[in-house]
Amino acid sequence: MAQTPTGGMTDAQAQQRSEAIVRPEKPFNRFRWTVTITLLTLFFVTSATVDIELTQLAALPERTLFYLGLMYTPPDVTEAPSAITAMIESLGMAWIGTMIGALVSFPLAFLAATNLFGKPVVFAARQVLNFFRSVPEIVFLILLLPVTGLSPVTVALALGISSIGTLGKLGAEVIEGIEGGPVEAAAAAGGGRLQRIRWAVIPQVIPEIVALWLYRFEINIRNSAVAGAVGAGGIGTLLVRQIGQVREWAAAGTSLAIMVIITLIVDTISGRVRRRIIRGPTRAVDLGANAGEQPEGTGPGAGPKREGPTGSVGGGAVVPV
Amino acid sequence: MSAAPSAPASRPDSARPDKPPPPPFVLWGSLGLIALTLVLGWDWEYGIGFSLRDIYDNLGRHNPVLEGVRNLDWSTLASPTVLAGFAETFQMAAIATILGGIVALPLALLNSVTGAPNTFVYVAVKNFNSFIRAIPDLIYAVFFVAAIGRGALPGVLALFFLSVAVIAKLTSDIVDGIDQGPVESARASGASHTQMVKTAVLPQILPGYTSFALYTFEINLRGSAVLGFVGAGGIGEVFSNYYQRGWYDRLVAVVIGFFVVVFVVDRISIAVRKRLL
Amino acid sequence: MITFENASVTYPGGVQALKDVSLELGEGEFVVIVGLSGAGKSTLIRAVNGLVPLTSGICRVGDQVVDAHDKKAIRALRAEVGMIFQTHNLVKRTTVLNNVLMGRLHRTATWRTLVGAYTKGDVELAMQALERVEIVEKAYVRASNLSGGQQQRVGIARALAQEPKVVLADEPTASLDPPTSHLVMRDLKSICRDLNITMLVNLHFLDLARAYGDRIVGLRAGELVYDGAAEDADENVFRDIYGRSLTADDVLEKEGSL
Repeated sequence: MAQTPTGGMTDAQAQQRSEAIVRPEKPFNRFRWTVTITLLTLFFVTSATVDIELTQLAALPERTLFYLGLMYTPPDVTEAPSAITAMIESLGMAWIGTMIGALVSFPLAFLAATNLFGKPVVFAARQVLNFFRSVPEIVFLILLLPVTGLSPVTVALALGISSIGTLGKLGAEVIEGIEGGPVEAAAAAGGGRLQRIRWAVIPQVIPEIVALWLYRFEINIRNSAVAGAVGAGGIGTLLVRQIGQVREWAAAGTSLAIMVIITLIVDTISGRVRRRIIRGPTRAVDLGANAGEQPEGTGPGAGPKREGPTGSVGGGAVVPV
Repeated sequence: MSAAPSAPASRPDSARPDKPPPPPFVLWGSLGLIALTLVLGWDWEYGIGFSLRDIYDNLGRHNPVLEGVRNLDWSTLASPTVLAGFAETFQMAAIATILGGIVALPLALLNSVTGAPNTFVYVAVKNFNSFIRAIPDLIYAVFFVAAIGRGALPGVLALFFLSVAVIAKLTSDIVDGIDQGPVESARASGASHTQMVKTAVLPQILPGYTSFALYTFEINLRGSAVLGFVGAGGIGEVFSNYYQRGWYDRLVAVVIGFFVVVFVVDRISIAVRKRLL
Repeated sequence: MITFENASVTYPGGVQALKDVSLELGEGEFVVIVGLSGAGKSTLIRAVNGLVPLTSGICRVGDQVVDAHDKKAIRALRAEVGMIFQTHNLVKRTTVLNNVLMGRLHRTATWRTLVGAYTKGDVELAMQALERVEIVEKAYVRASNLSGGQQQRVGIARALAQEPKVVLADEPTASLDPPTSHLVMRDLKSICRDLNITMLVNLHFLDLARAYGDRIVGLRAGELVYDGAAEDADENVFRDIYGRSLTADDVLEKEGSL
């Protein structure tokens, strides 16, 4: 029987007490049920009503394998150079587009930060950014086609304009997350708003914002391939032509492979650079001298500080003091 | 300067450090950024030929699309084709998101150090996910249209792959950030790897996961607009149709209609996601 | 019940957390480990259920050697060894009952875990564990809605639900206020007595160690420097273990002496 915390109760009282505590009943979780049922209904209704020919569905696996076979057995590398050139063009569109978006969104991000400007300004800036975010790239593309024609510049512009929204919003979030200390100090020293921004805010946010640009660049690479599909250039145009129009499957296979490989390479480089930017120039501090002292108040995660990326990973033992 | 009170007993100038040059990373990084922009922007074989002058010149040119804006044909929004197009877009996005979400969850779990039972699986799944992400949805669509013909199915497949890629990536990012405490306690009571993941990891990532799924639904809605251009169904087919026939007045009306729908869904989704997290 | 034979642990960074420790704990004993931070208390406790593998030497629980590399065996062992953590380690987003049921995981089929359908027997055991720590009325409450002391009791219930032979407690009172700390220690002591469970508790506060332990083990810099009955441990003994004079931070109740 459970021992009661306060001694001094008679056995009879203790007995009564533990009998009085009744086990609760399992509550009915309304929220979970509604969500599950809604999702299931949604799924079945849409599957049933969508206009898909079942013959297509049946033929899917076999056809997919067949065409994959055409694309890669045997692999045809003669088309590789043109694919690489096209991919570089896509990279170019993505990069220029990202730069355009970065430039325009930079001031907007500041205007949209609640810790820098007053409510009306922030509200207006945010609405502008939301507008840009909501419009799909395709719309900008369509609108721009008559202006700059079916060329890579059009795609770059379209990508740039549609990047403004996200870059601006995420940038504003970064700015709102800074430490207030330096800003206050600058104000106390008599700095005007612009000066405060220049000296206290910008140095803090630049690394993360540049990292944002690089992240957007990665996304824009994919978008530029998509936008290129309308014929404006880059790997998108090439692939659409090879698969959709002339049906040169082997060449298409090579182009696809080139696209994936280059995308992955750029992703990796960009990822490394981003992490490096955020981490800063200090290397992992060498605490070899302090290895003997260990932190207090150990939880399962706290352990002797380690150098760099060593240390237990995943399934091994946790390293406590 | 006029005779100022004498400076403190002269310190040797060498005590004052010279201003250090900017750290090499920043220096080379900024130069690299600028160089890259110039190289890629210039008008040569490997650049895209970006020129502000050209843009300025062309702005004045006859723009049929903008003309279409002047007399919009709103009635087209009520036409059965357009309504069917919107409905199809919605259906495609819903199916792709639900199926994609289901497949993405285990992939996301395996794509993290905590969730993967061993290093081999982790590396394999990580590479697989990167691979899937590298292919944009339109390319999937083009492939499937060529393989099985036009219609909504290629569109659903393309969006499916996109959904898997996006949800898996976003979810696996948060898996690595969970509280390890319950993980340790599950291990300490002798639970198997699968049991640990289900009881200690999953509850922690569920809200984020659902939020990402909703976000992906939005992406799918917008994506389906483009997919129609290659014959993969949805409202994009209507766009493509009108564009090629030059019915700009109708095109712009539908585009605006589409934009409004996306906007509304966006607002709803943001509200729901806020409540979830 | 628990045996250490020349156990040593050296972490990959070169830190030697345990140096040649030999110790024997009997069934149903309530043993408290004391020592400075970094003396090796956590390491010693985690060596018992293999969370920290020994670099050399042997640790045995019952007849079984603790071998962290034999995945199946170590899991079976861990099912018999309950563990209570300083930071509770509950899954905050789910109910108290689900947390306690985690103690039954080893004995539950995987499919049941995936669907969330524990057997009636398991649920009954979990409820009994909750009754034991007197928090059963909160069975369906979300874990994050409980106070620190209540969360720790849930942690104890989870360990109890395993029907363990041994319970390890790593600074279980560290984040609790004095009255709650006493409640928790009293619970642990009574569990140890009533259910004949061997209990190994790390404590930071010396007055608690003396008040509740049957036996006190002192570690300093990874070495075993004291092993004796609790009532024999006075200020001098502790000073020896710590290697420095005692401060107010070493006791829970600031007034009164050891």
